[in-house]
Amino acid sequence: MLGYYLKLAWLSLARTPAITALMIGAIALGIGATTTTLTVYHRMSANPIPARSSVLHAVTIDSWSPDRPADDENPADPPPQLTYRDALAVAAGAPAARTVIMRKTAMTVDPGAGRAPFLIEARLATRDFFPMFAVPFAYGGGWDAAADRGGEPVVVLSRETNERLFGGENSVGRSVRIDGREFRVSGVLADWQPTPKFYDLNNGAYDTAEDAFLPFALGAALELQPAGNVNCWKPETLAGLRDLLGSECVWIQLWADLPTAADVERYQAWLDGYVAEQKRLGRFARPSNNRLYDVEAWLRHNEVVGQDSRMLLAVAFAFLAVCILNVVGLLLSRFLGSAGASAVRRALGASRGELFRQHLVEVGLVGAIAGLGGLVLGWAGLKAVEQLYSSYDRLTQLDLTMVLAAIGLAVLAGVLAGLYPAWRICRVQPAAYLKTQ
Amino acid sequence: MDIRPILSALLRNRTGAVLVGVQVAITLAVIANAFFVIAKRLELVHRPSGNDSANLIFVQSEGYGPEYQHVATMRADLALLRALPGVVAAAPSSSVPESDGGSSSGYLTSPDPKAPVTNANVMEVDPAFLDAYGLKLVAGRKFRPEEYVAEPANNDLPPLVMISESMAKRLYGDAPAVGRPVYDNGGKQGTIIGVVSDMLGSWPRNVRPGPYDIVYHATGGLGRSWRYVVRARLGERDRLIPEIEKRLNEIGNGRAVTWVRPHDFWLLRTFRPDRRMIVFLTTLVVMMTSVTALGIVGLATFHVNARRKQIGTRRALGARRADIVHYFLIENGLLSLAGIVTGALLAWAASGWLASAFQTPPLPAGYVGLAALALLVLGQLAVLWPARRAGAIEPAVATRTL
Repeated sequence: MLGYYLKLAWLSLARTPAITALMIGAIALGIGATTTTLTVYHRMSANPIPARSSVLHAVTIDSWSPDRPADDENPADPPPQLTYRDALAVAAGAPAARTVIMRKTAMTVDPGAGRAPFLIEARLATRDFFPMFAVPFAYGGGWDAAADRGGEPVVVLSRETNERLFGGENSVGRSVRIDGREFRVSGVLADWQPTPKFYDLNNGAYDTAEDAFLPFALGAALELQPAGNVNCWKPETLAGLRDLLGSECVWIQLWADLPTAADVERYQAWLDGYVAEQKRLGRFARPSNNRLYDVEAWLRHNEVVGQDSRMLLAVAFAFLAVCILNVVGLLLSRFLGSAGASAVRRALGASRGELFRQHLVEVGLVGAIAGLGGLVLGWAGLKAVEQLYSSYDRLTQLDLTMVLAAIGLAVLAGVLAGLYPAWRICRVQPAAYLKTQ
Repeated sequence: MDIRPILSALLRNRTGAVLVGVQVAITLAVIANAFFVIAKRLELVHRPSGNDSANLIFVQSEGYGPEYQHVATMRADLALLRALPGVVAAAPSSSVPESDGGSSSGYLTSPDPKAPVTNANVMEVDPAFLDAYGLKLVAGRKFRPEEYVAEPANNDLPPLVMISESMAKRLYGDAPAVGRPVYDNGGKQGTIIGVVSDMLGSWPRNVRPGPYDIVYHATGGLGRSWRYVVRARLGERDRLIPEIEKRLNEIGNGRAVTWVRPHDFWLLRTFRPDRRMIVFLTTLVVMMTSVTALGIVGLATFHVNARRKQIGTRRALGARRADIVHYFLIENGLLSLAGIVTGALLAWAASGWLASAFQTPPLPAGYVGLAALALLVLGQLAVLWPARRAGAIEPAVATRTL
């Protein structure tokens, strides 16, 4: 029977090619627009580290000015980063399975051999950075505890930097000249580009990962200037990095591994105790306000999925709704236009159910073709918008989830559009039409 | 023409009319809000920069070696840049305008730290910055060469500052600002010696500091990394960029020229999200209105086909072609109006949602009016073709099939 219905559907669609094309085009456009915006949205809101996202916690404490909040627009929030001395104290004292303190700096690499020096972004971090954020290594690994304490000149290179300096070969143990000093390569990363860059959102959620990673203690030893955000509230004379280290400026990020709710509670209690103690010493003039965020909460808190993509998603769905309504109208007029034929089929013994199924097959056919068309349009749309986004073209790649979502949407759209017209047509009184034939 | 028969005909065949009405309503709600967003973004993208943006080149130099000498290198760099043929002027500049990166600080008009603080973008420059950016002195005087401190001991407020016109307004309103004091939040005092024509500072989108609020300090930086602004003669910019990179790399030991870029580089980057939003929304608006227009054409065609006999009869009874065409135009007008009224309510609701979700300002009524007018015209244009076909139905149809 299905074969017969398909043949009927095909004949019916072929009879009015303009309207058929219009219906298919409308659904395909709607699906295409929705797929494009949905893919970008899906990519933006993706969890960058699903396996560890509930364990990792960003740590914030309110060390800001007694006179005003850190962020006037969100006065209840503590500043997003820590002062240097608080970061050191919390990392040393607070009870966590692992802790990382880190910041961003800029350094100059001299590749030698007559090649021009170039600037890199480097992350100064303690050694647990790599296991905590599940950073993949191609060669070698991070550094040991002694390097963390003594700030030994070791470096972990990104895949790209290793490519640039050593043509991609295993460079572990070799030496790199950075800022006029020799550094020993302890490891080379495999491709690693968390999107969004959850571990440091201060310079944009889609900022690229750093080009090299060095022990945190080197920052103070070599007086490396910060390259990330530094926010200050207190009138302090800052003549160089030494002053910054002792200042009330916030510029250090701190994350802790807290696997269980009990760990989180214990950590929170320790933080509150630390702030209470600092208050007795005359610091932390604001009400005690210390917050821990796991990765998902941190991304939400920092509004990583931009308002623009949410707005576009809403507009795209409204557009899809308009397309579906349009197709309902077109199907209705088509079905009612051929009501005579349906009336003859009813008169010859076809039941309402059979007529309903026959028309649904026709709608399904339209939906299927439109779905494929929508996928192609969605893919083309993503290609077209790629240049509208910056380096992060990872946002505009169609993945399997999105392909399935597009097909699902197309089927849903087809069914939504077809149900009412199919129901209407099978309730037509055959007699009314047979009379005028 | 009496609208009552048209209305009752519409009500007799509700489904199709309701479908199109709802399409018009959704379309109106979306495009009214989209117009508003697009207008705001266009205003942002086309806001005057206030400087000679099209001819500006920015250079970053980074000292790294132990032999690097900051002040001597800067002096040599500037001498070289200023002597290059095709260069109008050059100056050190701590940040690039409209780059979304820079430094800001709070300024007060009283030494009392509890007094209201006005935030401003701080730009560290030398006395040549007005020519280098293409700015005008509005009041007071410029920095003198001997007032420039190439290597300040710290980042404290210097004794003399110049400020932008916007900043002068914020601090002192319409009263002259030249000669008046400014304070930092530690109570240190500086004196305003000159007011400069406005240019967009580091953060063109920000409210605090406002986009044009700038305070200029005649100081060099504390770090080993520095930037220069170079103003090229018209048409010389693109030739100068590789030339500057090559020439600067030849002088100065232990430093790298990390980039030499036209100002456009940052404008493209900073406003990319806005341009993207404009393109996305415009595309969606065009697609949505087209689909709605096609829906109107489809419904009208269906009505014309279903009423051939009635139309023929009316023609036979003396109705002119124009009467038939008018009938369909009015029918569409009624339908659009119903859709528009519903859509206007939807648009307010959507704008309310936007306002609460994104803290956007409320939708001005003008945009709803504009969208309503656009949809009304679009509906009439869309219905014109089927209506004319209806007008072409011959009176003989009435006799033929009965």
